[in-house]
Amino acid sequence: MERNETREKHTIRNILAIRGVGQIATVTIGLLVLCLAFAILNPSFYSSRNVGNLLRQIAPILIIGIGQSYVLITGNIDLSIGSVVGMSCMISATLMTKGWNPWLAVVATLIICIGTGIGNGLLVATCKLPPFIATLGTMTVARGVAQIVNNNYNTDAIGEGAEGFRTFFYYGKMLGIFNTVWIAVVLFLLFNFLLSKTRTGRHIYAVGSNIDAARLSGVNVSFTTIKAYMVSAFCAGTVGLVTSATAGIGTMDSGNMYEMYAVAASVIGGVSTLGGQGLLLGTVVGAAIWGVLQNGLQFAGAPVAIRNIVIGIIVIFSVLLDVVLRTGRPRKSAKGAAHTEG
Amino acid sequence: MKKKAISVVLGMAMLATAISGCSGSTATTTAAATTKAAAVTTAAAATTKAGETTAAAGGNKKIILITMDSTDQHWVNVDKGCQEEAAALGNITYKWMAPDKKDDAQQIERINNAIADGADAILIAANGPDAITGALEEAKAAGIVIVYVDSPANTPAVATFSTDNKAAGKTAGEQMLAALATAKVTKGSIGIVNINTATDSTNKREAGFREAFDGSAFTILETQYGEGDAAKSQDIADNYITDGVVGIFGCNEGATVGVGNAIKGAGGGIVGVGFDRSDAILSLIKDGSLVCTMVQNPSVMGSEGLKAAAAVLAGETLTETAVDTGVSIVDASNVDSIK
Amino acid sequence: MQDYIVEMDHIEKSFPGVKALDDVSFRLRAGEVMALLGENGAGKSTLVKILSGVYARDSGDMKIFGKEQKDLSPKIAQELGVAIIHQELNMCKHLTVAQNIFLGREQTHSRVLSNREMNKQARDILKKLNVDIDPSDVVGDLQVSKQQMVEIAKALSANARILIMDEPTSALSSEEIDDLFMVIKNLKASGCGVVYISHRLEELQYIVDRITIMRDGKFIKSMDFADTNMEDIISNMVGRTIKEQFPRVECPRGRKILEVKNLNAGKLVRDINFDLFEGEIVGFSGLMGAGRTEMTRAIFGIDPKTSGNIILDGKDISINQPSDSIRSGIVLVPEDRKRDGLCTKLPVRENIALPNLDILCDVFGTVNRKKEKIMTDKAIRELQIKLPNAEVNAAALSGGNQQKVVVGKWLARNSRVVIFDEPTRGIDVAAKVEIYNLMNQLKKDGIGVLFVSSEMTEIMGISDRIIVMCDGKITGTVNTDEATQDLVMTYATRFEKKITQKVTA
Repeated sequence: MERNETREKHTIRNILAIRGVGQIATVTIGLLVLCLAFAILNPSFYSSRNVGNLLRQIAPILIIGIGQSYVLITGNIDLSIGSVVGMSCMISATLMTKGWNPWLAVVATLIICIGTGIGNGLLVATCKLPPFIATLGTMTVARGVAQIVNNNYNTDAIGEGAEGFRTFFYYGKMLGIFNTVWIAVVLFLLFNFLLSKTRTGRHIYAVGSNIDAARLSGVNVSFTTIKAYMVSAFCAGTVGLVTSATAGIGTMDSGNMYEMYAVAASVIGGVSTLGGQGLLLGTVVGAAIWGVLQNGLQFAGAPVAIRNIVIGIIVIFSVLLDVVLRTGRPRKSAKGAAHTEG
Repeated sequence: MKKKAISVVLGMAMLATAISGCSGSTATTTAAATTKAAAVTTAAAATTKAGETTAAAGGNKKIILITMDSTDQHWVNVDKGCQEEAAALGNITYKWMAPDKKDDAQQIERINNAIADGADAILIAANGPDAITGALEEAKAAGIVIVYVDSPANTPAVATFSTDNKAAGKTAGEQMLAALATAKVTKGSIGIVNINTATDSTNKREAGFREAFDGSAFTILETQYGEGDAAKSQDIADNYITDGVVGIFGCNEGATVGVGNAIKGAGGGIVGVGFDRSDAILSLIKDGSLVCTMVQNPSVMGSEGLKAAAAVLAGETLTETAVDTGVSIVDASNVDSIK
Repeated sequence: MQDYIVEMDHIEKSFPGVKALDDVSFRLRAGEVMALLGENGAGKSTLVKILSGVYARDSGDMKIFGKEQKDLSPKIAQELGVAIIHQELNMCKHLTVAQNIFLGREQTHSRVLSNREMNKQARDILKKLNVDIDPSDVVGDLQVSKQQMVEIAKALSANARILIMDEPTSALSSEEIDDLFMVIKNLKASGCGVVYISHRLEELQYIVDRITIMRDGKFIKSMDFADTNMEDIISNMVGRTIKEQFPRVECPRGRKILEVKNLNAGKLVRDINFDLFEGEIVGFSGLMGAGRTEMTRAIFGIDPKTSGNIILDGKDISINQPSDSIRSGIVLVPEDRKRDGLCTKLPVRENIALPNLDILCDVFGTVNRKKEKIMTDKAIRELQIKLPNAEVNAAALSGGNQQKVVVGKWLARNSRVVIFDEPTRGIDVAAKVEIYNLMNQLKKDGIGVLFVSSEMTEIMGISDRIIVMCDGKITGTVNTDEATQDLVMTYATRFEKKITQKVTA
């Protein structure tokens, strides 16, 4: 009865009690602290120009973070994200240098990427390969495809006809904010809606939480797994398009290690690698932290040797802080409850 | 298990065939190589097989090129030069071997493979001056002729064909100083976008560049590293621009593309100088985003290197053993006439 | 009321190497509770899985609500109104109660989830079940008993008319069992048919109308509960009369093996003092939450203790982690054998060898396969563990045999004290007796036996002395021949008065 009374009050504690929000709050505070530190170290950090650039640098990390989060929530992982970025970059650039209409190239590229996602999903759900192995395979194949698309060469410049494409994905602004950021925002709103307000989203959480319970409840587990991988591949493909728009050429090595950045952004934001929990809002904060670190450390003049160590420590710290601060959460006592039966 | 293997193979074959329409190249070879490799370095295997040129049988000398990686355009051009020269000479069996990524242990393995493969001569771009000397000593002991292309190591070889990176870097620095003087900019900060701390050639370029700025009124900021990726380098250059630099130097092709694009995106006003050439770099010079670039001659390194190796194998002595294959400055004045 | 809602005839089902069901029949009427009884491995689980569509039968007829069922899938069974509440609850722990209830049947309004609507319906059902659960609670935060109620709510929400309950009371306290039985009675009254699978035969009388007994994959008998008694049921289940349900042996008491002094470990282990002698079994009784499991974990070294001495054979030993305890000779057979007692994915041989590697390994740390085989064979032989061979995964064994493996790995090292925590939970009658005999053998061999159990009859049947705990403290010790159920229960409910301060001046 006590519980019902406190539940009616919309205290901060209640909001924090929603699974995952606590970690997001902690990490957001960390983000603000970082921004403050970098701003003090070099005022250029918070110049309007850099804020614009920074948001544009965060956008691709957020997009791939969204894709990886979807897969992580189903209890799987997608190691092929980086290679799909590279493959998408190369395919779109190669097609455009060969005279394709940029928008047709975009569509063709995205179709191929989504196909890769379906492939990942089939390997994991239908052939029952462990996701680590399945996506490791696709990762290698996609990188190989990125290399043979243009005969092991990076592409030439994608040409004058692609100016509209480059503006749309990277250089253009709307209401003072770079298009890339808008693209990330739209994708976030879209995929967040899908995840939290539709049946598919509910099934994604269920499959990650208890795949057997989900199956026995009539959830189409295979289809749900495939959908998650499709989202991930689509996001990676989009970032590949952003990359070819940025550089104006296709580079075979682009996207290297991106799957790891995507995991970092997701995990910092509270998405569990074991599946079943996590909010995309957390991935936003995670991507922001990653982007701020990369950007801010340059303005702070940090030597490269220190950089990686600093980034790694901060990533570990942000996840650790959440675990330490919330040791007394009810979640733990459910496990303890099993032992208090004596 | 069998079902899984078949589905994996089918998946890979499907992907390879789907893409083959776009490039019309060695798609089937790639598919075969992919299915055999099953987990690792498929690209390396594919390009190695594609790069193999066999001349007429009988009395052929085997020359193997080992570069730092197999995808950077620079090495692809070295290989191209080698292929042309080998075809021209006619009695050479030529192969290109390189790891997927720059990695000392893997480069040593390639050297060992070359020895086992019965190479008569090895053309090599050493990862670093000391990293692979042990393996090279073994090769020499086995009677193999060593020629350095692009980057030498600390053990004597019959010849070295490379860019004098330090001098080239210094030239780039002088070009930037001149451009700044023309724009009447007398002081400010300069940014450098390099590759990584482990690549000797690009470090030498940076060193030469910094030398050119000794005693000038300009300050050079802490170098940032973009791994040669154009997009990453562009982010770094963007940040430099926000930080108020007056000039940026890109140490290789990827970095230069990134620098040029960043300056273009900022609307100009910053002096950009780079290294290497590509379609994109040339167009960035044409539209004024970059002032100039130092163009190496990787294919010359390849062809001259192979020629020298073949000569030594045929018993001749070389007249020149340390050849600077040189850089040419490409700027707005000659960008259209470059071929 | 006389119509059958489930009719199964001549059902056959085989798995590779095993005939699970051999010409089995089963009938269920609307508005009745039918107990499905049988030892582990009798085929009950397979039968209900066929009824709920999880397995496909090899041959035989099945009619649900009078209609022939040719190919039944879980989804179709669900639509027909068949629901199964598993023993191992199958919920998505990260989702809320309402989300779990509607899993697979989510209600949407033009593609968007109608969360408010589903929460409301969930609340209604929970209220009908008279359960105090908020539909927006996360299932993982709920106690096991509440989770079970959620599973029942889920079944009802899907309009289940045939409810299959597999060991529903094993994790419940007696109050919760009363609530559950009330719910079942209501379901009966509304015309649902309930298939009730349980090993807790003593509870059947309160809830069951008819029983069906299976043995070794065959249908044995079906009868009204009123027409039979416990002995009869048991003998039909095992096919032999079990002479005594609780085989007690008398042994002379020897010297003191174990002394526990001033043991404190958190809220549930407070100032525990007791002794253990050779030739006796000491049973620990008490309600759920009394702290008995916590006490065993503190002794064994799993949980840290704030104070306490453990004296084994007169020597004070320091135990900070399980390996200390094992090395000294005190071992624990834990409550959750699948999670804490075995590595279910490893073969039986490796499970038996695991804590004994120090004995089995040679100088360089390599496992001596011959010694391992001898140890494994000895354990299997002496404990009569039923398995095809020692290479099968521990997960494949029945509950009773799994328990024997857990015990077997300790016996291989000449332990001095063996602590059993709920050793017969989820085990069929015949296997239970084997465990009791095992404990008696240890007693006869002069090994100390501590025995925690929630089944009063079991404690009184097997132990020589009963120590009762309540709320973390020992509230009473009684010799079994002087003990009565009422006395034990009195001690078990002897909570400290919270208002002791308000003493009349």
